[in-house]
Amino acid sequence: MKERAFITLTNGFKDKLFRLAKRLLVSNEEAEDATQEVLLKLWKNKGKMAGYKNVEAFAMTMTKNYCFDKLKAKETANLKIVHSNYKDERPSLQRQVEAKDSLDWVGKILNDLPEQQRMIIQLRDIEQYDNAEIAEMLKINETAVRVALSRGRKKIREELLKKHNYGIV
Amino acid sequence: MELSNIEKLLEKYFEGETTISEEKELKVYFTRETVPSHLERYKDLFQYFSEESTIKATKDLKLNTSRKFTYAWIGVAASVALIAGIFLTRTAPSKSVDTFEDPEIALQETKKILNMVSQYMNEGKQELVYLKEFENTKNKFIK
Repeated sequence: MKERAFITLTNGFKDKLFRLAKRLLVSNEEAEDATQEVLLKLWKNKGKMAGYKNVEAFAMTMTKNYCFDKLKAKETANLKIVHSNYKDERPSLQRQVEAKDSLDWVGKILNDLPEQQRMIIQLRDIEQYDNAEIAEMLKINETAVRVALSRGRKKIREELLKKHNYGIV
Repeated sequence: MELSNIEKLLEKYFEGETTISEEKELKVYFTRETVPSHLERYKDLFQYFSEESTIKATKDLKLNTSRKFTYAWIGVAASVALIAGIFLTRTAPSKSVDTFEDPEIALQETKKILNMVSQYMNEGKQELVYLKEFENTKNKFIK
């Protein structure tokens, strides 16, 4: 496979990889690195690519594994990922800032969920994969996907309700 | 879409039983300007989802295989240098060249030079006599 063909192929799902990595690692820079690493690995094994049923799903699984490795390494190294992606970089009106702020709350709630639920919500609600695809990517069965999805969504609803009622999370 | 319908969909949504297209409907509904106040809090959620799906990776993919190539070339260069080195030293002339015609004169010259060397050696060794002083002094203290 030629370099250009590979890039065109991966451009179709590169952003999805990035978003999944960002959901798990939170930091923008780490997510960029993760995306690069995964695509490079895929490029190095391009000979085997014809054997994959679904390159996109395969790349998603690779991203998940890569991010888990990263997170595990951080845990043992006793380091926290530093992130500062919550601030609004656009100059905007007060209203826009407020709107963005309340959206950030959703992001914070989402990022406080267990990794599995976080990933599944990312893949389902943001990337709109169906449960069968998600099950394949995460190597779990479909029922587990549905259960985790429901739990995650309910947890978000609960937190949103708290915030709505008391203004805190 | 009807309000009751939306509420039903929401309920299904939280049970994880909606289909992708139903979720799309919800997303479209909640990204509108006006939403009834008791559903207001879900607006953020669905807006967040649709906003998140537009984030793009900013770094361009670099398939820098060139680094791998330079490492390979270093190996090649090293082996070329090694082989060249072996052949160059092998073909270099290592035979000594005769500088004297007569072996008798050569012997005498050699003896002369060796004598000179030993003479200098002995001259240098005389200075070493002073080392004995150390020994003597040490013996004075340590018996």
